[in-house]
Amino acid sequence: MATSAAMRPSMGALGRISWCYSTPSLTQTASLSTTAALLKRHKYPEARDNKDHNKKRGESAIRRTGTRWRLSMSDEPLPRPVPRSRLPAIETDPDHGLWDFFANRTSVAHAPEEEAKHGRSWSVEELRGKSWDDLHRLWWVCVKERNRISTSNWERKKSELGFGEAEAFVRDREVRATMRAIKHTLTERFYTWEDAVKTAENDPEINLSGDGPPFTPSDYLEDAEVAAEGDQQIAEAAEETAEKAEPATIPSSKPQAEAPRL
Amino acid sequence: MQPTRILQSLRYRRLRLTTKDVNKGFYKGTRTGNMGRHTKHGGFVVEWDKVRTYVCPSLEGFKLTPFVARTMPRTFGQYENMMGPKDPAIYLARWKAENGLD
Repeated sequence: MATSAAMRPSMGALGRISWCYSTPSLTQTASLSTTAALLKRHKYPEARDNKDHNKKRGESAIRRTGTRWRLSMSDEPLPRPVPRSRLPAIETDPDHGLWDFFANRTSVAHAPEEEAKHGRSWSVEELRGKSWDDLHRLWWVCVKERNRISTSNWERKKSELGFGEAEAFVRDREVRATMRAIKHTLTERFYTWEDAVKTAENDPEINLSGDGPPFTPSDYLEDAEVAAEGDQQIAEAAEETAEKAEPATIPSSKPQAEAPRL
Repeated sequence: MQPTRILQSLRYRRLRLTTKDVNKGFYKGTRTGNMGRHTKHGGFVVEWDKVRTYVCPSLEGFKLTPFVARTMPRTFGQYENMMGPKDPAIYLARWKAENGLD
């Protein structure tokens, strides 16, 4: 197409020349190039296409011929292999959370002796005095410990490190017992709170309506002789009492959860 | 797969329930919950407000571990009645003594 378009002006010029000089034999051979079509072979119907359809003919990896046409990256110099010692060190985030899946930064699994060095699980009675936040965080500590045990199990199997499966199982069982105790504590605390709300409805000292102080101690006011100072003082005194109490005791956390429900 | 005849006569079944044991409409599930919805073309659209996201609280300065030292014997509570730690009266008394505000 490009060649015919390029030839078109010259052919037009030839036509003009032939028109001017009126030589019919010359004009016919110059303007119509039908000879090439006549020379084509196999023009009969159902003729086989004689074209070579294999675009990769002659290419050989063994003889290193390369491709038959230039590739866009033919002039790019190939990178040379660099020994690992000369490569820059891979930078990792020292505080990445995935480090918690390992016991330390240098080994993928504890030795069985190290794995067996652990205490017993928490009992429910020991957890009854803990606050909601402490139990929540202890739960996640247990989750991370189980992740670490599971990672070392996987690594021990993959790298064929040997013994340690029994120690890991015992350790994991203790962690699961702690988690079960946490669930026990929270469930028990919720049911007790539900019962306590029912009991508080019949308690004259407790006001569940939401107006005024929820707790008006009857004995405390007379004994301490602070009745005249009003409810504001009572509230402040109660706040001080709450602050003095251990942060890991039930009422510091539990009645906060109680508040919106009352 | 069936229990042996003696167990059948006792109406004793220790085989897991499958969808083939009950009538239509039984969905056993995989205990994983629903995280999206099915489209009418057979696809599935994940609804991200249904997908569970677990937020770990900050563990900085938290010193408790999953274990307690073996040198410390197991603690058992001393309770006055059979309700034990589930007694709402104890709960209320402690609330009054230590907070009583909210």
